[in-house]
Amino acid sequence: MTFFKKPKKLTQVLQENQEIKEQNAQNNTNQSSSQITAQNHIQNEEDEIVVEEQMTIEELIAEVKKPFSNTQDMVTHWINLPSDDSKIVFLFLDSIIDKSILKLHILNPFFELKKDIDLLSFEQIAGLELKKQTDFTLVPQLLLQSNALVFTQDTSCYYSILAPLNTQRDIKEPDNEAIIRGSHEGFIESMTMNLALIRKQLKTPKLTIKYFKLGSETHTNVALVYVENIANPDLVREVERRITSIDAEAVYTLGNVEESIEDKPFSFFPQMLSTERPDRVAANMMEGRVALVYDTSPTAHVLPVNFFTFYQSVDDYNKRWHIGSFFRAIRLFSFFIAIGLPAVYIATVSFHFEIIPFNLILLVKGSLEDIPYPPLFEAMLMELTIELIREASIRLPTRIGTTIAIVGGLVIGDAVVKAGLVSNLMIIVVAITAIAAYIVPSNEMSAAVRILRFPFMLAAATLGFLGIVFGFIVLLFHLCKLYTFGSPYFAPLAPFKIDDMKDAIIRLPFWKQNKRPNDASPLKRDQANRTRKWDRN
Amino acid sequence: MNKHTITHRQLFFLILQTQIGVGILSLPYSLFQKAKIDGWISLFIAGVIIQFSLLAIWKLCDRFPQKTLFDFQPKILGKNLGFIFNVIYTLHFLFISVLILILYNSIVSKWILFETPSWVIILIMASTGAYFITSSPREMARFYTIVTPLLLILLGFILYAYTGVHPLYILPIGEMGMRTILKSSQDAVVALLGFDVALVFLAYTEGERSKKIKVISYASLCVTILYGFVVLTTFIYFNPEEIKIVPEPVLYMLKAFSFSIIERTDLIFLSIWMISVATSFICYFFLAAKGVQKLFGLKNNKKSAPYLAIICTLIAVIPNDKLEVAAWNKYISFTSLLFSALFPILLLIIAVLRKKEDKGAASS
Repeated sequence: MTFFKKPKKLTQVLQENQEIKEQNAQNNTNQSSSQITAQNHIQNEEDEIVVEEQMTIEELIAEVKKPFSNTQDMVTHWINLPSDDSKIVFLFLDSIIDKSILKLHILNPFFELKKDIDLLSFEQIAGLELKKQTDFTLVPQLLLQSNALVFTQDTSCYYSILAPLNTQRDIKEPDNEAIIRGSHEGFIESMTMNLALIRKQLKTPKLTIKYFKLGSETHTNVALVYVENIANPDLVREVERRITSIDAEAVYTLGNVEESIEDKPFSFFPQMLSTERPDRVAANMMEGRVALVYDTSPTAHVLPVNFFTFYQSVDDYNKRWHIGSFFRAIRLFSFFIAIGLPAVYIATVSFHFEIIPFNLILLVKGSLEDIPYPPLFEAMLMELTIELIREASIRLPTRIGTTIAIVGGLVIGDAVVKAGLVSNLMIIVVAITAIAAYIVPSNEMSAAVRILRFPFMLAAATLGFLGIVFGFIVLLFHLCKLYTFGSPYFAPLAPFKIDDMKDAIIRLPFWKQNKRPNDASPLKRDQANRTRKWDRN
Repeated sequence: MNKHTITHRQLFFLILQTQIGVGILSLPYSLFQKAKIDGWISLFIAGVIIQFSLLAIWKLCDRFPQKTLFDFQPKILGKNLGFIFNVIYTLHFLFISVLILILYNSIVSKWILFETPSWVIILIMASTGAYFITSSPREMARFYTIVTPLLLILLGFILYAYTGVHPLYILPIGEMGMRTILKSSQDAVVALLGFDVALVFLAYTEGERSKKIKVISYASLCVTILYGFVVLTTFIYFNPEEIKIVPEPVLYMLKAFSFSIIERTDLIFLSIWMISVATSFICYFFLAAKGVQKLFGLKNNKKSAPYLAIICTLIAVIPNDKLEVAAWNKYISFTSLLFSALFPILLLIIAVLRKKEDKGAASS
């Protein structure tokens, strides 16, 4: 064990392996009082010699490190306890360990004690900070979950300490779900923090969290969150069943999970609500829905949902209720505009120009007369242009994005009319449609609406109003037929429940919302909203 | 079998939407041809007659709870005769679907799409039907419920006619004599057909038995009143000389209205009317598919639906001029009068006489 006592050589080794600063600092501060050394896995040759000569602890370390034999961020840190000359070994993955935690909890207590430490006193300290483990098959898993492992000469057991590197960003308002009044908190990429944000909203002991690990290689953490005395146990069981049935090597994104557990993978409509807002999740859970929170993603899923959930925004509840209702109705109306307006325009100008009122007919004719292309082509051209602009501006930084919007929207729009490719009216129609499609507070629903407009345009161009009517018949029936986790998607409209309309198409005041919506079949229907007691008599 | 039950309210909308269909456009004309301006009396008489048929249908289904027509017919008539009548009823429902397709095609090609080949117009309806019948009555009923408010728009358009009506046109009342009025109520019954789908849908309805008869008779009553309102409105809007020459009085009436934002109101009316036609078609198509399912012992409608849609389309494109359409209309109307309105009564009498009843289920 000669080389453990040569700190200079050690420093060189460390520099070579690019884990410089923290280790060095640690070494420098501790050098005088102790002789800690670190050894990197790279020096295998020396290791092997050691193993041959020495006792079982080295063999054990070599054995344990085998699955990680090629990764360079594996750190093995040997310490010679001065009193009895026994060795302990730290083993961790450098890239995911916060070394200051290790220092705080283990190394500092070591060296602050003036007297010499032997194996016995180490184990006493260890008992406070570390968890004793005996199952050696867990080693790779613990290492990958930001644990540092400590091996002693007692090779029948080892210790683990959780020291995750803090990779969290700040809690900010989610960009795609900004609101005017109310909480501006949003989820981040850490599950514990996300759960903390939910607990902050719902301080009830009934809030239940169940953890799942997905992906045999990725071990993605997923938490199923629900309120125990409200969410239907059948629903919870069904969600659990579907999640545990996911069997894959890698589950990276929430999209993977969503596609694995949703009911109708071929439907255009999103069957779970994706949101980055803890308050939205909390409010939905109080309606008896359950939420899935992911470790690697700031987006949580709420399920089961109905169509109208996607049109609710937290803002609605912070406005005067009439105004909130008005904007809710506008949003729902925008669904039909975004899907149907280009189709109706195409059908009107190519089949049913008779319905254009007399005063308008000259205007329409004047606008369309010199256009060489059929209306369908015009509409497709402009709609696709809008989609191009959108797609381009998503990836660009905000400043350039604005430029693209101006160039795309104003310049192309103006030039295309002047060039005589597309009529004035079509530009108006396309612009209104584009705005209407973005009114939906949910990005997924907005995407569904934008896609659906194309089949409607085709139907209108081939069969006129007949095509649009049959398009809507099939669309509405599809919505009636769709179930998410056993609850009807188009509730409360189909099946029709007048009680639940209070928070679907309009938003009635808080003191009117006495009952939870029925579609998630909550255990308790009564919300116990008795808020205007003072107003009696 | 009855995992997908429907509620009373859903049954109401199913019957209502099935009854309102193609008939609404040409009913005033066909009534006027026989009973002149007393046609509206025939309609209300037909409405009363229908109530008797409904009573028989309800009694019949009540004897065999949770059993459809195709299930209890072999029990009443014996295995062989029952099988034959199941075949007949399946064909009957199929031909009503075909008739609806034919009439819908003739209206659409006359009023909306003049040059589109008729098979395209028919196929789009038939394939929509094929999509619908793969699901259960519950989902269909949900759809029927949410499209019903659209009828109010139709009603609103018709109400607008009251800006130019002459109530004196319907006088004198009873000019044609009771006999002619009764005779022409046969035509009215045909237009009101659709209540016969209760033969199957009653089996899917859960809840009190006495409430079921109320629901179906209210549904028919609503349709009778709505039709009566439409017929009366057209009779007092056009003078008796005019109605003779307009085969679709409702549309001609609407065509005359123009608002500052919409010129041809009839096109909007037709678009919404198309939904009502689709609902009638889908119901009968579903019944036909149920019959096929029973006859061939299939598990569900999923596999048979596309074939049935193709068969319907192929039959519906056969008649290609006005006279042939009229002939088909005449024959299928006659058979449907027989099988939808009269035969259930006969079936009930046989069941009572032979004391056929599903006792085990009745006690529950």
